[in-house]
Amino acid sequence: MRLGECNTCGMKSHIRSFYQMDGKTYCEPCVWARAREAKARGESGEYVALSDHTICARCGLDNGTTDLQLVGNLPMCPACGGLVQSFPYPHWLKMAMLGLMLLLVAALIYDRKYFHAGREMYVGERLIEQHKYAEAIPFLQQTVDVAPNSDKAVLLLAKAALLAGRPAIADKALHGHDGGHFETSDEFTEVQGMWNRAVKAFDEADAAGKLALQEGKAAEAARMIHEAAAEYPEAGGLAVAAEAYDAGAAFERKDYDSFARIAEQRWRAAPDAETASMLASALACKYAMTSDPSYRQRSEEMLAKARDLSKGDAAAEKSFEEYSERILYRLNSKQIIDKGEYDRRFRGGKVETK
Amino acid sequence: MFFIPGFVIAIVTFPGVIVHEAAHLFFCRWFKLSVYDVCFFRVGNPSGYVLHEKTENFTAMFFVSLGPFFVNTLLCVLFCTGAFLPVWELKVEDPVAYFFYWLGLSIGMHAFPSTGDLSNLWELAPGRAKRGNLLAIVSLPLIGILVILNFARVVWADLGYGIAVGVLGPIALFRALARG
Repeated sequence: MRLGECNTCGMKSHIRSFYQMDGKTYCEPCVWARAREAKARGESGEYVALSDHTICARCGLDNGTTDLQLVGNLPMCPACGGLVQSFPYPHWLKMAMLGLMLLLVAALIYDRKYFHAGREMYVGERLIEQHKYAEAIPFLQQTVDVAPNSDKAVLLLAKAALLAGRPAIADKALHGHDGGHFETSDEFTEVQGMWNRAVKAFDEADAAGKLALQEGKAAEAARMIHEAAAEYPEAGGLAVAAEAYDAGAAFERKDYDSFARIAEQRWRAAPDAETASMLASALACKYAMTSDPSYRQRSEEMLAKARDLSKGDAAAEKSFEEYSERILYRLNSKQIIDKGEYDRRFRGGKVETK
Repeated sequence: MFFIPGFVIAIVTFPGVIVHEAAHLFFCRWFKLSVYDVCFFRVGNPSGYVLHEKTENFTAMFFVSLGPFFVNTLLCVLFCTGAFLPVWELKVEDPVAYFFYWLGLSIGMHAFPSTGDLSNLWELAPGRAKRGNLLAIVSLPLIGILVILNFARVVWADLGYGIAVGVLGPIALFRALARG
């Protein structure tokens, strides 16, 4: 330890309790006084504390009168010098960091199903932005299977399904989410608007279906189903149904040319048992009106195709049985009567719904 | 706006304080600066500190002062990424995910350098920038922004930064992955 002496009052003490100003050493009260005087004269009056390089700045070790090595401008004993030059990371810190990283890795592995679901959601969202709604559905469905309570995923799936004309998927997703409850948001408002539009269209389609079963209401039913199809054009099924109802309306007003034309279009667009039967029916009408055997021949061919196409489908087979009986009657008798009349005449008035 | 004492915030988000000081220590060691004392966490002001040697090396001072900003931000994104999808997007009740979200936000909240860190850097930056030091030139606006954000801590800018990094970072990451 080094000692110092005040240049003014002569006090002697440890050098670290002294200050230096203008090259002279002062104790604390004297340096304050000198500094005030200097400032009064317009000088800076700056002073600095004296350090004792024989005392370790970190642990206070007294090295007698020998200066210690300066480490970063501070005197340090060998032990502290080594420590400050390579300050160690505490053991607990290293263990905590290691534990956290291991936990993070474990969590990332555990959560990989969420990452997959999230990725599928972003892919689905991007496909929606590109108007590829039907393509987006399987991606978003995977997300909703993992996270049925995610507002974003469910609303995206519902949006994709509604815009792809598949409201049943939207219905299942929306009602599987917290009992159909969502936080109010722009996305929710948008999907709600689409949903309401789809529901209105299908309500109109239901009403049209009921009207179509009543005699003399085919034209009104066709008008209603067209309104429904216009309300929700994304649902291709409604447009197809509208064509079928147009065919029914044409039959009702005895416009068999239109009936045959529509039936031909439907058969070409979607060849199945139902369209084959409809075309067979229309051709039977044409035969009844013209007695042209080519119509009869083609009608019978279409009936045969309808029979083949209905095989394996119980509902289609049953429908074919009911329908074919009336078409054959039309071909054999050349009388065109509707289903209600046929039921009254030959089925004891028992009316079957189609 | 409501007031919560700083020590309460520090206690609730203590991992962020530890990571901040550990980052200071890491860069001091990286640039071989003497470290006289380290406090990783305490209930007081400041809630942690690293006393280290002063240096005229601007690169060293830049990374020692702003290193925690980058390290805390990076770790915030990393931990929040592990939790972002289940918690934020998928609304899955997963305790592990919530734990990581707390951890990530705590670390993100303590990303801002302290006024002391910024003062140390500001002492050197203008002079070095005049001499054409590119890092010093780049650091000038960054220091300005961080000083403003530091003052904005009273209006929860630090929490806002943590949330922004912890939410926007993973969103950007996952959207980029979805395009891949």
